[in-house]
Parts: sequence; structure tokens; C-alpha cells
Amino acid sequence: MYDFSIITTAIDQFLRSLMPSGLAIFIECVLVGACVLVAYIVLAIIMIFMERKVCAAFQCRLGPMRVGFWGTLQVFSDVFKMIIKEIIDLKRTDNMLYNLAPFLVVLSSVLTFSCLPFAKGMEVLDFNVGLFFLMATSSFGVLGIMLAGWSSNNKYSMIGAMRSGAQMVSYELSIGISMLTLVVLSGTLQLSEIVSRQSDAWFIVKGHIPAFIAFVIYLIAGNAETNRGPFDLPEAESELTAGYHTEYSGMGFGFFYVAEFMNLFIVSGIASTIFLGGWMPLHILGLDGFNAAMDYIPGVVWFLGKTFFVIWLLMWIRWTFPRLRIDQVITLEWKYLVPIGIVNLLIMTLCVVMGWTL
Amino acid sequence: MNTTFIPLNEFRSQMETLRRDKGMDFLRDMIGMDWGEDGLGVIYLLENSATKENISVATRTTDRVAPAIPTVSDLWKIANIYEREVFDFFGIIFNGHPNLRRLFLRNDWVGYPLRKDYDESEAVNPVRMYSENNQNDCTYTLAEDGTIKQIPDTLFDNNEYVINIGPQHPATHGVLRFRLSLEGEFINKVDIHCGYIHRGIEKISEKYPYPQILALTDRLDYLSAHQNRHALCMCIEKAMGLEVTERTQYIRTIMDELQRIDSHLLFISCAAMDLGALTTFIYGFRDREKLLDIMEEVTGGRLIQNYNVIGGVQADITPGFAEKVKTFCKDILNKLNEYNDVFTNNIITRKRMLGIGVLSTEDVISYGCTGGTGRASGWSCDVRKRHPYALYDKVDFKEIIYNNGDCYDRFLVRIDEIKESVRIIEQLIDSIPEGEYKVKTKPIIRIPEGSYHAAVEGSRGEFGVFIESKGDKSPYRIKFRPMGLPLIASMETMLKGNKIADLMAIGATLDYVIPDIDR
Amino acid sequence: MKQKITYLGRVYWSLKSLLTGMKVTLKEFFTPKVTEQYPENRKTLKISERHRARLIMPHDEEGNNLCIACGLCQNACPNGSIRITTKNIVDEESGKSKKTLVSYEYDLGCCMFCQLCVNACPKGAIKFSNDFENAVFDRSKLVQKLNK
Repeated sequence: MYDFSIITTAIDQFLRSLMPSGLAIFIECVLVGACVLVAYIVLAIIMIFMERKVCAAFQCRLGPMRVGFWGTLQVFSDVFKMIIKEIIDLKRTDNMLYNLAPFLVVLSSVLTFSCLPFAKGMEVLDFNVGLFFLMATSSFGVLGIMLAGWSSNNKYSMIGAMRSGAQMVSYELSIGISMLTLVVLSGTLQLSEIVSRQSDAWFIVKGHIPAFIAFVIYLIAGNAETNRGPFDLPEAESELTAGYHTEYSGMGFGFFYVAEFMNLFIVSGIASTIFLGGWMPLHILGLDGFNAAMDYIPGVVWFLGKTFFVIWLLMWIRWTFPRLRIDQVITLEWKYLVPIGIVNLLIMTLCVVMGWTL
Repeated sequence: MNTTFIPLNEFRSQMETLRRDKGMDFLRDMIGMDWGEDGLGVIYLLENSATKENISVATRTTDRVAPAIPTVSDLWKIANIYEREVFDFFGIIFNGHPNLRRLFLRNDWVGYPLRKDYDESEAVNPVRMYSENNQNDCTYTLAEDGTIKQIPDTLFDNNEYVINIGPQHPATHGVLRFRLSLEGEFINKVDIHCGYIHRGIEKISEKYPYPQILALTDRLDYLSAHQNRHALCMCIEKAMGLEVTERTQYIRTIMDELQRIDSHLLFISCAAMDLGALTTFIYGFRDREKLLDIMEEVTGGRLIQNYNVIGGVQADITPGFAEKVKTFCKDILNKLNEYNDVFTNNIITRKRMLGIGVLSTEDVISYGCTGGTGRASGWSCDVRKRHPYALYDKVDFKEIIYNNGDCYDRFLVRIDEIKESVRIIEQLIDSIPEGEYKVKTKPIIRIPEGSYHAAVEGSRGEFGVFIESKGDKSPYRIKFRPMGLPLIASMETMLKGNKIADLMAIGATLDYVIPDIDR
Repeated sequence: MKQKITYLGRVYWSLKSLLTGMKVTLKEFFTPKVTEQYPENRKTLKISERHRARLIMPHDEEGNNLCIACGLCQNACPNGSIRITTKNIVDEESGKSKKTLVSYEYDLGCCMFCQLCVNACPKGAIKFSNDFENAVFDRSKLVQKLNK
């Protein structure tokens, strides 16, 4: 099993030997920040490309094919286009809030992103309330969306933002409950600890039926939390043209776009961490040779593999179903997901207390 | 066609008798006319929805300055919007109409274009580079001293949250504009604006010889191009007393049905897209492509087909046509199952459509919503059954009737109609008789004096053609009955109290096509 | 589903209907794609013979066409997209003057492909071709001279 902390410790010691420890920590922070941002952008680009191709495949199309081999450079050209686009100033917008909103959205998703445990020892923040912190940071993205809708001075944006607010606040609950179900199973909130407790079997196997139900609820709520179809009402293009980001151009829009994709990655990353064992390789009890072979695959690969599988699942859902109506979205949450989630939490607790887990 | 003229002073009471006692509950069309010396007036085509009995009545006034006719908008709901159209083009004031204002043209338009003494010069109506003011409603009433008084009345007040859906909006399927007054997500009031792509086809047609008018019909409702042209050809042939060959009838019937399948496939796709299911949209277009290929091979066009001509069709069918159509028909039935699996039977779709936008049977008849919309509300309104034309009295097919009148039923009607169309085609495709595909006509076509009417079942309702001829090579007045205008007129009843998202579901399942509304 | 449906029953039926849909899309995920890659597939692209993309006037090997400059097509065109210029040439043998074609101008930009000109032509001198790649950078290039 690779342990990434060996590398980080080595860098840390090297820096400390050169300069006072305060400066060393500062440089480390900058380095880590840079790494996180680079990873954030690279993953976003991969995901936008993946979305296009996966969506095309579900729709019997080929997707982008022109720019680069199989359209691989398409995303780069799109990003280039977006950067050189003029940022339009609008009359009668609340200028400060209007410009602040995209940053809030991106900030929330970068903060959450940096909590994800990519591999053993490869996590930026690892403390004993990790999952709690993660939920807290992810939930203020809705603030940015609300501000964007309010400050744009556009009626479509306003309706989009209102829908988004109602939807995201509601679905936070389901996400919390399904995470809580798994916390009951794992007995800890620390992300590294959650992963390492899945070394013998992933929680979705360990927790069998209640864990599976929690997984399904998590996927549905996660899809809603990221404003993706069938819950894409805030930006329902056939109703509100583009919802809360109608008035944004250039990188303002780009931030919303990237943040939306990265939120999808984060949701999937958390799913793979707490349900599918994170960076933990696939281990099957009794097959030692197989387990040893699996250990040779680095943790990052496992983590990204699982995450992208979950992303694919979510894309599959997104490109199959029609959109719900706002009252149906809220009904689904409060009348179905929350009650089922709470009962499921009880069952899980019972299972853990009675020792019925695998 | 025999039209009974009713004197103006008896008009209102006679219309009431017709509506209430004779059961003439379906106002098929309302045709504004300028008879020149004889004055301005309106022809009403009425039908009894139970007995299918047809009559046409007319009234006119010689006053050209302020011509006034009593309104019938309280007897037939659709008359509301038809009267606005007549007011727009002829300047006839309908006394007692609740909000008489222009329907298609700008409210600062000078003159009434379809009057024979209309000044066409550009100096009168230049291209205006500023946007028009939002129109206010007004009511015209006959004051006691005999003059007509105009009472303005505002549609939306300043405190209302008014939002524009359209003219450029993905859900309006073209350039249609709704002004909605919202209460949160709920719709309070609706105001519909048409005319963004009005091309004045009826006006142009008054100058064109008949064959050239044919070229314009494809551009009305482009998704029922064949049927539109069929109707006009039928009307002209009827007027000329021209008998088309059996082979032509077969080809026309088959092409009409292919066009219907084409239109309904597009309907399914677009309805899915409006509800957010983009994948179903692409599937529908993928399968429609095969049909378009078949049609292109025969007619040379994919959207603008140009196939029917006076006396026959443009060209004979191609040798492999029958085989290809049969393969397609088999294929499409399987594909319908796929759409049902991925979209129709889906819980989200059902929730979005069931019980939304209900139109009662009385409403659809009063609004004259023919086609799938009428049949979903339990009104047997298929022209193919009511007044059979071409070969429809010889083939065996079922008229699809559903009774709930909600969005889901309107959707199912179309799916089942594709199956019926396939049945019709399968009955005909193997027995196309030999013969001429076109009978010879004179180079210049003239229609004897009189008025003529013909109707076909277009893809989304009854498409009628009315020609008033003075014996020239171009018509004195031609009127196309739009299929979409009754549909959007009925939206107002359906929308009130529903949510914005329902507007998309309702609009999608009504299946209107804008160029057909804005002729 | 007429009988009373319980809460869990509703959840079951909903999930089942959703999964049926997902099954279909999954199947399509692996089926061959239908995208036509247009400029690359020029060689295999089939445009039907009757497709109307552009009016042409066929010429034989010696450069002669069948047009007799009668002007019927010009009259038949609803949009006035055909303009014929003629001149009278006196035949030396018989001494009769004969109308001949000088130029046959066709404006693709305002043609609506209604085929009335082709129908009107008594000699079959003009027809529609299915050569559809007619995009040009300048509107004036859409006005074509059809005779040689």
C-alpha cells in the first residue's frame, strides 16, 4: 500500500531544513493551494469532456469529434472562448453582489473539494469532524446561487434562484441523513478513518440493505444538490432559458459551469469515499493473492476510478429522465426521501447495535 | 358553397338561434370579406358537432368608416380571437367584444391590409425601428346615440410580476410570446401575442395565380405541408370540376399519412424536450430522419415538399418506395415501444402530464380545437371521418378518442395515431393502381365565379381552405383555417392557476406550429 | 393499477418505471451511433435524385442548351428570381427574326424551390440538381448565369 504522507513529510522536512518553520508552513500552504486548484481545473476539464461524450453515447450520437483526436481538445477551445469573451456590465444590477456570486459558488466547491481523501496520506484537511466540515462548506454554495439570481435583476434568474434555494436547502437534509447512516456504521466522522475501516469490505457491502438504500437516496439527493437533471429546474433551459446564470457572460458563467461539474465530482467523490471504500483497493476475504495484486494499484487510481463510475451513474440518470416540477421536487424530498432515510437510519442503528453487519 | 346573408339588425338574434336551438356549436372558421361596393362583412362557417351538419352564414355592412358588427364571442369562445383577426385585417369593429385589439400587426399599423382599398405604399407603413408599446385592452360598445365608444382597460397593473415567455424562448417552438402575470410559480393571467412572423400569405395570394399560391401553402404549417397543399389542390380541383386519377388519390393519401407520422414523431420528441428529456428528443429525431429520407426521395424536399399540384402530384413515386415505406412502418412500431419505455410510462412524465391542462369537451368544441387536442377531450372531430376525402372512406381505421382531456391524453392520442396511420398506409401501399399520376390542366388556371371550401385533416387539426373567386386567375379572397390559432386561444383557460412548468407541458402537448398561426 | 396503491407500492412502481427507462438508455449506450460526419462523409453521402438544391441548365457537349428564351419560367416564378435577356437574330436563310437567349440569370438567394419554372418550361431546358453545397461568402455570388 502506497502512503502518500511519506512524500509530503519529506518535502516538509526539506523545507524546514532550509528556512524557519513559519515560512515553511506558509510555502507549504501555497503549494497545497496551487495543487488543489490545478487538480480542480484538470478534473473539471476531464469531466466536461466526459459529460459530452457520455451524453452523446446515451443519445446515439458521437459528440464532439472535430477539435483534436475524437474531440479531445474541444473543452480547451471552449475554455479559451470563454476567457476571451467580454464580461458584460448590466444596468441596474447590484454590481458587487453580481460579481461576488460566482466566486462564492466556486469557493464553496473548492473548499469542499480539498477535503476529499484522494489517497492514503493525500488529503489536505484531515481532522476528526471531516465529514461535518465537508457538509458545512458544501452548503454555502447555494448562497452564491441565490445572490446571482437576486443581483442579476432578471425575472428568470430570480425564479431560478428561488427554485434553487428551496431545492438545495431541502436536499441537504437527505444527504445529511444518508451520510449519518454511514457514520453510524463507521463510528467516526474522520474521512481517513472512514476509509481505513473499509479495508476488509466496503461499507455498501458491510451495511448491506440499509447501506444500499442510503446509497440510492444519496445519489438522488446528490443529483438534486448539484442542480443536475432530472432536478435541473433552477436552470431548466426550456422554462427559464438558463436560470440564475442567464445574465452572466464570459468567466462569470464559466465559474458557475465549472462549479456545477465539480460539485458533481465532489458528490461522487464523497459517495465513493463513504460507500465504496474511497482509495481502498477491492479486497475479497480469503483471496490473499488477489488482494495483494489489487494493492499494487495506487490509491489515487482506485479513488478516481470509483468516483468516475459514480459520475457515470449520475450522468446515466441525468440523460434518461424528464425534468420534475418544483412542487414534485419538494414532495419527493419531504414525503419520500426524508421519511425513508430516517427509517433507514433507524434500521442501520439497529443493525449496528445487534451486530447484524457483515 | 351557399352562403346565407343575414341582415345586420337580425344578425345577433339569428346567431343566437343557430347556436342555442340548432346546435351549431362548432365555429369552423370566420372569414372577413371586403365585397367592395357591397360593403365589409364576415362569413361564418358553422357545424353541428353532433350531426355534422354544415352551414355558412354571412353578414355585412356598407359603412366603410366605422363598420360595426355585433360580436359572437360569447357564443363561441374561439370567436374572440377570430374577431380580433378580422378587426386586424378589415377594421371591422365587433360590438361588445371583451378586448378588441390587433392580433397580428403592430398596434401602430396604419390601415387594414386585406381591404381592397388598402394603401400598400411604404410611406404609410415604413419599417419601424422602435418597439411597440404594450397594448392595452379595449372594449367597443354602441352608445345610445348610435356612435361607437371605445373603453380602454389595462391588462396588467404595475404591481404584477409580469414575465415574458418568448418571442425567443425554447418552449414556444417558434416566435410566439406569452405575457404571464405570476404569483410565485403560479400563473395568474396570460396574454398571447402573435404575429412575429406574419407574412401576409393571404394578402400575397390575392395577387398570385393559383399554382404559385400552392408554393406558399407548404410554408404555413411546415409539418403538415402535404395536407395543406392537398386541401388547396382539392379546393381548386373541386371548383374547376377536375377529377383526379385513382393513382393520385392513393399517392396523396399515403403521403398525407406519412406526413402525419412525421409530424407526430416531431411532436413526441419536442414534448419530451420541453419536459427536459433530451435523450428521447434525439431518439425521435433519429427515427424521423429515416422517414424524411423516404419523403425526400419521392418529393425532393424534406420540409418543404412541393408534391401536390393541381390535378395530381409533381412526380410519380419511385420504384423502391413501397418497400421502404413498409420497412419503416414495421420499424416505427418497435420504436414507439422504446419511447413508451423511456418516456411515456415514466413516473416523472406521468406526474408532469396527468391531470394538467384539462380541457372539457364543451370547451374544445367551443374553442374549435380540432386534431389531437380535440380528440383527447372526447370530441370526434377527425375530418377524415366527418367529411371523408381522398381514400379515407375506403380504408379501415379507427378514430382515436380519449376522454380526460389532459396533457397525458393529448400525448397518447398522437402515439396511437401513428399506429393508425401505419395501418392506413399498410392497407394502401400494396394496391396502388396503375395510371397517370397527373391529369393535364390548362397552362393558366381560372376558377369559375363563386366561393369554395375544402378541408382536410392536417397533422394537428382541421385545415380548411376558403376561396372566393371572381373568375380570375388569382383568387379574390383566400382564407386558410389555421390549426394552431384555436389551440393557443384555449391556452388561457388551461393555464390559469397552473405553474410555469405546466405552461411547457401544455404548450408541448397542444403541438402548435407558429407559421400556421401567423399566416 | 386501479387498486389502492400503498406508499411503498408507489415507491416500487416509480422505481420500476424509472429503471425501465434506464434500461433503454443503457442499451442505446452500446448501440452503434447514427451521427453523420458531414464533410468527412462526402463520398458516401447520398442525396436523393429529386432533391432541389439549385436550378441548372444542362448543356450538351457542344455547349448548346434547349432554351428557346420564351420567358415562361420567368413568368411562372413567384419571387422573380429568374431574369432572361434576349435578342433577336435574323436567320440568314429564311429571313425570319428569331428570339435567342443572351443570358439566363438565376438568383439562388431568392429562389424558393417551388419547381414552377421547371413545370412551365416547354422544352425541358432547365431542371433542379441535387448539388447542395451552395454556400458562398457574398450575396452577389448567388446570382448565377446558367447558360454558357
